[in-house]
Amino acid sequence: MATVLLVGTGAVGVRAARQLLDTPLVDRLVLADRRGRRARSMADSSGPRVEAVRLSAADPIPPGVDVVAAAVPPGLDSAYAKRAIDAGVPFASASDDADAINELGRLHGSARAAGVVLAAGCGLAPGLSDVLAQHAAGALDRVDEVHVSRSGAAGAACVSSVRRARREEPREWHEGVWRPVRRRGPELSWFPDPVGARDCELVSSGTDLLVEAFPHASRLTVRFSEPPMRRRWSVPGRQTLDEEWGAARVEVWGVRGQAREPIVYGVIERTAVAAGTVLAVAAATLAGLMPSAGVRTEAGGGTHGLGVLVEPTPFLAELARRGVKAAVFEGVAVA
Amino acid sequence: MKAFRRGLLVAGIAILVGGVIKLRGKGGVPPMSGGWRELEAPDFR
Repeated sequence: MATVLLVGTGAVGVRAARQLLDTPLVDRLVLADRRGRRARSMADSSGPRVEAVRLSAADPIPPGVDVVAAAVPPGLDSAYAKRAIDAGVPFASASDDADAINELGRLHGSARAAGVVLAAGCGLAPGLSDVLAQHAAGALDRVDEVHVSRSGAAGAACVSSVRRARREEPREWHEGVWRPVRRRGPELSWFPDPVGARDCELVSSGTDLLVEAFPHASRLTVRFSEPPMRRRWSVPGRQTLDEEWGAARVEVWGVRGQAREPIVYGVIERTAVAAGTVLAVAAATLAGLMPSAGVRTEAGGGTHGLGVLVEPTPFLAELARRGVKAAVFEGVAVA
Repeated sequence: MKAFRRGLLVAGIAILVGGVIKLRGKGGVPPMSGGWRELEAPDFR
C-alpha cells in the first residue's frame, strides 16, 4: 500500500487522479495545488482515500508520501522535483515543455547522488511515444532512426508550450551531434483515424529523452502539429480544449536480419486522458505499485525519460488495460 | 483598367499556387495500402 502525492489539478491532473484511484495498491491520494480550492473540491467528491492540501513549490513534501506525480505548468516542475529529492521519493512529471524537461535534466546529478528517480516527460509525447519507440527497438537488431509526431494538447498551459515549441529554433540529433535545423515548413504526418493527416513542425521538445534512450541512432526527430484553437464563442467557464483528440505516431527505422525496415506505431486518445494515464502508471511504477511493470534497474537514480526507465511491454499492457491502446501500421509505411 | 485586370489575374494565380503548395506540404505521401491494427496484450506484436 502506498501514498501518492499528485500536484496539479488541471486537465491532466484530474485524469491522473482518476487513474491513481483505480490503482489497487494506492490507499491514499494527496491532491495538491497552489490555492487548494480545486483540490479540496475534488477530494470532497472522491471518497475517503483522497485528501487535499495546499502546497506551494517551496513547501516540503508531506510526510508518508511514497511518490510524487506532477501535472503543473512549465517552470514549476523542477521546484517540486527538488522537494522530492530532499524527501528521497521518486518524482514523475507530465510536462512536455523543452525548458521544463531541461531543468529536470539539470537536477540529474543531485537526484543520482540521493538515489532518487526523476521521470521526465510522462505524457503522450514525450512519454508514451518513448515507450513505443523502445518497444519497436526490441523487435529490431539495430535502431537507425526514430521520428515522433504528436497532435493535440491538454490544457491551456500545454497549448502555449506547443505553440512556443513550434516557433523556437528546432534541433535534431544527426549522426551523434545536435544540429540546428532551418525551418522549411511543416511536414504531413499520418496518424490513426479520426485524427488522420496533420501538418507537423519540427521541435526540440522531448528530443533529449530520445537521445538518452537511443544514443547510437543516426537521426532522431520530434514534430508537433498546430494545437487546437480556443473556441471564440464557448460558454464561459466551460473547458473545451482538453476534449480534443490527441495522437502520437512513432516511426522507428532499423535493421532486422539483413533488411532495413520501419516499424510504425500510433495511438489516439483524448490528449489529457492519455497524458494523465501515462503519468499515473509511471508514478505507480516508480513506487513499485505495478506488480507486472517495474523500473529498469540499470537506469539508477537521476533524471530519465520513460524510454529508459520502464519495461515497454508490461507498461503498454497496463495502459491498454486502462483504455489507452496503441496500434501498429501494417502495409506500406511512409518513408 | 487592363492593368488592373492583369493584376487581379496575377493575384488569383498566386493565391491558387500558394494554396496548392500549402495543401500539398512537402512530405507525407498517403499510405497506398495497409492500415492500423490495434496492439493486443500480452504480446503487443
